[in-house]
Amino acid sequence: MPPAVIELENVRKSFAMPGGERTSVLDIPGFILGEGEECALEGQSGSGKSTLLHVISGILRPDSGRVVIAGHDITRLPEASRDRVRADTLGLVFQQFNLLPGFTALENVLVAMSFGSATPDRGRAADLLASVGLSHRLHHRPAELSIGQQQRVAVARALANRPRAILADEPTASVDSAHQQQVIDLLRGACTEQGVALLVVTHAPEVARQFPRRLRLEDFNRAAAHA
Amino acid sequence: MTLFGIAWRNIRQRALTSCLTALSLALGVALVVATLVTAGIVKQAFNSGAGLGYNMIAGAKGSPLQLVLNSVYLISRPIENVSWAFYEQFLPAENRRDGQAGTFAGSVKTAVPICMGDYFRGHRVVGTNAAYFDRLSYGNGQPFAFAAGENFRDADFFGGVLGADAARTLGLKVGDAFSPTHGADNGLVHDPFVVRGVLARTDTPVDRGVYVNMEGFYLQEGHAKPVEGVEPPEKQKPTETATGQPTPLPPEQREVTAILVETAALPGLPPELMAMGLKQAINEGRDGQAAEPIREIRQLLDLFVRPLELLLLLVTVLVVVVSAIGILVSMVGSALERSRDVAVMRALGARRGHVLATVLIEAILLAVGGGLAGWALGHAVVAAIGPLITTGAGVTASFFSTSPAELLLVPFLVGLAILAALLPALSAYRTDVSRWL
Repeated sequence: MPPAVIELENVRKSFAMPGGERTSVLDIPGFILGEGEECALEGQSGSGKSTLLHVISGILRPDSGRVVIAGHDITRLPEASRDRVRADTLGLVFQQFNLLPGFTALENVLVAMSFGSATPDRGRAADLLASVGLSHRLHHRPAELSIGQQQRVAVARALANRPRAILADEPTASVDSAHQQQVIDLLRGACTEQGVALLVVTHAPEVARQFPRRLRLEDFNRAAAHA
Repeated sequence: MTLFGIAWRNIRQRALTSCLTALSLALGVALVVATLVTAGIVKQAFNSGAGLGYNMIAGAKGSPLQLVLNSVYLISRPIENVSWAFYEQFLPAENRRDGQAGTFAGSVKTAVPICMGDYFRGHRVVGTNAAYFDRLSYGNGQPFAFAAGENFRDADFFGGVLGADAARTLGLKVGDAFSPTHGADNGLVHDPFVVRGVLARTDTPVDRGVYVNMEGFYLQEGHAKPVEGVEPPEKQKPTETATGQPTPLPPEQREVTAILVETAALPGLPPELMAMGLKQAINEGRDGQAAEPIREIRQLLDLFVRPLELLLLLVTVLVVVVSAIGILVSMVGSALERSRDVAVMRALGARRGHVLATVLIEAILLAVGGGLAGWALGHAVVAAIGPLITTGAGVTASFFSTSPAELLLVPFLVGLAILAALLPALSAYRTDVSRWL
């Protein structure tokens, strides 16, 4: 078993509802993602997939339990430190790619670098874009790029700060079936090449079945199981 | 990529809104700068008349302010004249017909007579003697200098000297002749005078004046004081003295408009006390009054210019506040538009402080950009109306004319921009990341 990059222990998260009641979204006794491991996490809509990614990335703080990222127990850290751990150790790929529209492809990667501990490196940002086949689109803005090219920029951006793991939230949900395979190949290829762990959240079985490790959120999230 | 770079990118992303915000700022700042500089120039124009080498003016009884405006600034309505005998009271024994020192001579270092009432193409014509340019001064005691030619001599009855602006606007040079008109530009045309010299620029009202030898001035039609039994000079048979000049007007037919007085400094006695004593002595008499230019101008400034300055200050504050509101509106719009971008940056690892700083830097960039553009535009406006100011006020107004208050404008604007951007910056600071992703 490779050393853990992401480790969850008795993580619970609930949200207050308009009536004042609290709804439990996450109740996970344990979850570990090892170094370089590739895992697909399936789940129905509303099963808490995005909440789980936000808790792992430190965007949300769990009500209880521990979340350890690359050795940092981020549940004990103040928000600014969680932000720094996220910038330095995790790469995020969003469903809509969420590139910054006013910035070029190169600048989108550089922006991510500027929040990490390392000094932004223009050369490395260009290399990352070249590695996903975008060396000829460095200075194009997202609106000037195709959907496929935007995906590539998003992957290059996720790799900007040499992360230990990439968290991808439904990366194939907004693309047609022809592009789905491209996205998965791109993510897996990049992670394999860089030795980065990959956690892909998806509701598409045809995507999940390509991963060596395939989990259903309902199987280890007691809150989802009860729902 | 630095936070500065991110803020600059954000501005470029909303180019139209950013440009309009900066433009509204620039127009506001331009208005303020142009007003401040022009007000400063007007004030300078008045202050420049306070250092002309004399500290007192004696003239006919009436308004001391009018006496000062007329004699120093060559503006306002012409005033009544005083007799030659009154002038002689300021003269030492050697300059008087009776060989006795004048009543006020002991307190006077220099007394220069001026005679007014003629014009030449919009410029006041001042009759005086050579002492005006030989013994008086301007600024901090600087002697008058000539850009061309030299001062007229007292024996040269029809010699004249032009101020720098007068020479420029009239297109006259040394050797040219000009004929003043009586009482107004369309009045009776007098005999010609010849330009003997053109003064170097002094940035004082002197620059606008046309100065002629008072001996020639007296010989013009309508300038002699009517005396029973004596014919006015223009009806007399022309005669010439040994110097080749006409016979001077007799003293009893002469009048002067004002006497520019530099009080004497006696050992052990403060000059102010000397001036005060002389002023009191003159004002107690029936022949004329004395006015102190500095005191009159200070009163004028206190009465009109200072309240105007306060009003300008109020306008300035209002314009800057409106500009700040413009920034606030722009930044609130920007923050609302970019909530998702802020959430993405936070997800990429940006700290709350980063997004707060980015919004503030954006506001500062807009304020500095708009402020500097407005500053340049304001000075361009001053430069454009500079010739008008120069002609009207007698001081140079150029692109580089500055007012001390304007130096505070851009920093003040930046401070206000930060205050205005604080609300949207805090809104960005509090962005709920998970809601927007």
